[in-house]
Formats: sequence, C-alpha cells, structure tokens
Amino acid sequence: MICAGIDAGSRAIKSVLFDTDSSQILASALADQGVEQERLARELFEELLSGARLHRAQISSVVATGYGRNTVGFADTTVTEITCQARGVHRLAPDARTIIEIGGQDSKVISLEEGGRVRDFAMNDRCAAGSGRFLEALASRLNMSWEDLAELGRHSKKPAMISNTCVVFAETEIIGLLAQGAPLADVVAGVQNAIATRVSALAGRFVSPPVYFTGGVALQPGMASALEEVLSCPVRVVSRPQFTGALGAALSATQSDGWH
Amino acid sequence: MNNRPRKLTLSEWDSRYSQLQREGLSEPSYGGPLRRHLIEQKDFRLEQLRFDNSPAALRLWNFLLTENDRLRQARANGDKIVGTMKDLGTVPVMAYSLPRVRAFYPDGAWWTPCLMECSDKLLQQAEAMGIDASFCPVRAMLPAFQNGEHFPRPDLLVCSAGAVCDDFSAIAQRLERLGHSILWWEMPRRRPPAAGEISCPLPGHLAAPRIQVDAVQAELRRVSRALGELAGKSLDDARLSEGIRAANQVRRLLDALRKTVYCARAAPLPALEMLVAEMLAIHFCSDRQESLAVLDGLLAEAQARVRRDEGVVGPEAVRVFWVNPVADLRAMNLLEDLGGRLCGSDFMITHALDLIPEETPPLQALACAALSDPMVGPTIERAARIARECQAGRAEAVVISRIPGASHCAREGEIIRSCLRQQIGLPAIELEIPPLSDAMLPAIGSRLQALIETAKSRRTT
Repeated sequence: MICAGIDAGSRAIKSVLFDTDSSQILASALADQGVEQERLARELFEELLSGARLHRAQISSVVATGYGRNTVGFADTTVTEITCQARGVHRLAPDARTIIEIGGQDSKVISLEEGGRVRDFAMNDRCAAGSGRFLEALASRLNMSWEDLAELGRHSKKPAMISNTCVVFAETEIIGLLAQGAPLADVVAGVQNAIATRVSALAGRFVSPPVYFTGGVALQPGMASALEEVLSCPVRVVSRPQFTGALGAALSATQSDGWH
Repeated sequence: MNNRPRKLTLSEWDSRYSQLQREGLSEPSYGGPLRRHLIEQKDFRLEQLRFDNSPAALRLWNFLLTENDRLRQARANGDKIVGTMKDLGTVPVMAYSLPRVRAFYPDGAWWTPCLMECSDKLLQQAEAMGIDASFCPVRAMLPAFQNGEHFPRPDLLVCSAGAVCDDFSAIAQRLERLGHSILWWEMPRRRPPAAGEISCPLPGHLAAPRIQVDAVQAELRRVSRALGELAGKSLDDARLSEGIRAANQVRRLLDALRKTVYCARAAPLPALEMLVAEMLAIHFCSDRQESLAVLDGLLAEAQARVRRDEGVVGPEAVRVFWVNPVADLRAMNLLEDLGGRLCGSDFMITHALDLIPEETPPLQALACAALSDPMVGPTIERAARIARECQAGRAEAVVISRIPGASHCAREGEIIRSCLRQQIGLPAIELEIPPLSDAMLPAIGSRLQALIETAKSRRTT
C-alpha cells in the first residue's frame, strides 16, 4: 500500500510517498509556497507521482498537514502539524523525547512519550521573532540567499546582541549594527541566537533529552548550536528536516501505527 | 420540527423561532427572536455564532442581551442601582439583600465591543481617554460610563482594590477623576495562615488567616452601611442571611447544571451556553429571581437530554476543561466543531459558584467568600483546584485562554500548565483570543485541533 503526505507550509510545500509494504519512503519533493496553494500542491503531487512512475489510483490515501492543509482539496483528510511532526520525527529518531520545529511562520516544541505519542506541546504562531521569518527578513535586508546567510553565520566570532523581540523593530537594530560596522557574520549569528532564545522561552520546562530539531530552519548550521547554547543540552538535527511533517502525514495516511 | 439538540445559526434560529411560536412558545416579557438584538443593538457578532436550539437557551440569550433594558426599567421604577466593580459575586449578594436595589457589573462592558464587533467604538474611545490597548478590554467600561448608552449611571459605585487587578484599579481611578464617585473597599492578597495564626476555612478548600477575614469583613461592613443608606433600610444580619440563602439558590442551580452537563456521556448543552449561564452567578444579570427561572429552564432541558442520551456533540468528543472566559465567543463554538466538549470550567468566577457558608455570621461568610476569589490568591492554589476539577470531570485536555491586555498574572498560564502536567499529566495549551479573532481563528483552530488529536491519541494505551 502506498500513502502520501502533503505538508502545505507557509514557505514551502513538501510531499512524501510512503510504501507500507517495504516501510520505505518512495519519493519526496518540495516546491515554494505561493498564492494559489491548491494548484501548487496539486502540481507538486502530480510531479511526485510522475517521478515515481505512479498514478493517483495507486495511492491508497492522502493526508494533508501544515498551515495550508485545508486548501489541499484532493487530500482525503487533514491532520495537524503537531501530530505529523511527532510521527515523522519518531519514525526517524525513535528515541526523541523533545522536538523543536522551526518553520517559516511559526515554531513548536513537542514533548513525546516513549513510543512517540505526544505528551504536550507549545506553539508560537503570533510572533515572527521565533521563526524562520526573522532569518528571511535578515537575508532580504542583506540581499543574500538563505544558504549564503547560513554559511556566513558559521564564521561569527562574537555574535551581536539583538535585544528586540519583535522582528519589525529588530530590523531597526540590525540597521544600527550594520551602520556601526558590526561584522555581517556576527549579525547573522546574533539573529540566530535571538530566535533560539525565543524558542527556549516557548519550550519552558518541556525540554527532556534527547532533543531533535526539525523544520526548514534546522538546515541553518548555526541554529542547532544556538539552541544547544540556550537549552544547555545537545540538539540533534533530524535527517532531511523539511520533510518530517510530510512524512508524518504519510504515516498518518497509512493508519498502520495504531494512533487513529 | 426536529427537536434533537443541535446548534443553529442566527438565520436558522429565525425559522426555529417562528416554528416554536406556532407551537405555542411561552416567553417572558424580554422574549423575542434572537435577531432583534442584532437589529436593535447592533450585536453583529451574533451572526457569527451558533446557538443551542432549545427554548431554554433562547431565554438565556434574551435574558443576557436585555440587561440594559432591565436596568433602565428599574431606574424608571425608582429602584436604586448599584454598580459593583471588580467584584465577581460579593457586593451583588449584599445589594440584592435589600428591597428595590439592583446591582450590576459595569466591568461586563468588556463584552460590548466583542458582541458589537467594535461598532460601538468603545475601545477607541477608551484609548482617546488615555487607556490604550495595553490595558484589559474592561477599558470599554470607561467610555460606556461617559456616553450612558450601555447602562444607566448608577446611584452608587462600589469597587474593590488591592490584590485584585492593577489594570482595573487604574481604569477605575480614571473613572473617579471623571466625576464618578467610588466607594472603595480593600481586598488583601490571600495567603495561607502562618504558624500560630488562627486559620479560617474558605469555600473551595482554601484557608486564610483570621486576621485577613476580619479585615475584609470590616471593609464589607462599610459597604453594607453605604448600601443601607442608599436603600433607606438597614442591611442587618437577617436581611443579609436571607440574601445569602437566595444567592445560594442560584449557585445550587448552577452547580446542578454544571454537574449535569459536564458529567454527561454526551454534552447536553453547548460550551457557549454554559459560559453564559455561569456568568449569571456574578450579579444575576440584574434580576436574581429571573436568573433562577432561566437556570431552571436550562437544567430541565439538560436533564431531559441526558435522559434521552442526546447531546450537541457525540460521546466520542474529547473532554476539555476550559480556563478563563473568552473575548471572542466563537472560540467556544470552535471547540465543538473540532471534536471537543466542555467537561469543566474555571471562568475566573469559581468563588461565585461555591456556596456561601450559611451557618456563620453573614458578613463573615461573605468575607470568606470574597477571599476565595481565585484572582486574589496564589495561582498555584487556583491551579490545584483546576487539577482537582479536571480529575472530577475526567478531563482529557485543558485550554487556558487569554485575553490580550488582561494579565491578572503574567505567568499564570505557565504555572497552571506546569501544575497540571506534574499532578495529572494532562496536555494543556494556552490560547490568546482577542475580542475579534477573525484573522487569528485559523491559528486558534489549529491549536485546538492539535490538542484534540493529542488527547485522542492518548486514549489508545
């Protein structure tokens, strides 16, 4: 049986095909999110099927997750990101007890029981200061790509202090720092630290090791170490972190894990 | 017509109302179709809500939404009107102990912008009066006093101060400077009795040192004298005791309603109607006797539905305990839409639901009741009560809602969550729900849905 998961995020749409017989991911794909969310999700899904030489009729079930999940009209059902991230990360890292997911628009801290069941969670979806949006704003201000920004942050010697917890006002601080001649690498690392601090406040007393880090922002090399610093514990980055939500959605579609 | 419990939109209620009328619906003087509140009072938010389909629920809503008329009628009849501010259920009990005195709750004006979708401009006017959005939405009260459109100017204004709410104290002080004389009474911060101090048991399994009870009692004596002078009759122990017994009648009915609804296999009444019903405990919506009739009707409906094993949601719905009232009432509808139901609540008025001791001297009993206010003591005590009630209601998850600007304790949500997690291991979320949450509703719904999924996943052990 082949099932599909679609994670319609704020920055990107991710899709995964999962084969329950071999218990393997057959294919995955990613595309930028946009205004016509339904069309973009459908095109990505069709592209994924085509690449895997499959037809829609061969897919037993499609589950959509992510903030845009309700726009994915061709999905059989929807499941929230909390459940999907928990399932996806548990699949890849069964020892995970805490998941930190930082996406383009929000961040989440999920506490897991042994066996991967969600014990509790906290979400920040009101403020961009704890999300990838903060890094995007910086990349835009510096006229750099996301990848170049990540690389630059690795070379910081003394991360700048970003005191403001609001992205809009923090941009003013960044302009000030740049005007004072602060090294770009230190500004980038300062923003990464500010995000990590926000997320650690969200995590509160949730954090039990092992802690796994997922979501698109986990691809930024400096972010995991910034989180380790504020949480005072090792933080491991999940393999292919952009896809854990879609994988969890595909696993939900299989309904084979006894959680439905 | 299908009389099974279900939730209706305002338009659906129009047809339902016509049908009920044809069937001989008997209504009190304030009855009528729900839509009239939208037309006459511009309560636009009603169009966004879904209401229980019973005549008992119709009566509840009509009772709630006609309080202004009731107060104006009382004024026309020559009754005395007392505004009891920052007081969720103590001074109103005293006021209603006197003949021809009505207490109301000016703080309740915070619901006006929520219901009128800010078309009343109260929040903007409050801002122009120096009380901006960093304050609790109760700030709507300030311009409501000034424009006189939402309630008549009271004959006496009573307000508690001290260990209550800084925001409210600031707003009330501003009100006083605008020429509204206020009788202040002091509420100390409740603390557990120290070694060697005489301990007084309070309702809600709490205790306070005798010295605190005495202090509050002395304050209430001052209020009692002022109320007596206003009414031209002494508020003596006999009158107070009778007033307490009558208030307890309302509280007993509410207790029975809560037990019936929250313990039922399938929730017989929606979360929204339960929120509104519980609010009657504060000041009886300006008519204590009618409150009894309204609650009686709701209880009878709930009991009948339980007997028929009918609910507004099925028995599979996740049992959710809700902490704090919401600014946008749609959040209560949303709970059921996403597969949840109420199994308990702490809408910040639990002390107004507890019975006032009838065997102790009445002023002392009222002082004890006032001191059991969850807002005047440590949050950990409130959390402990929530944990107990979660267990009693077999809660599977907890929602702690917040209203922007209303921070009675900045870390309250985290303390409650932490306590629930440690003591009973329940998943809990905090939701910030603004007065008009339209743009936030998808995010609020997403969190609620995640909580409900989490609770469901915990069923399969």
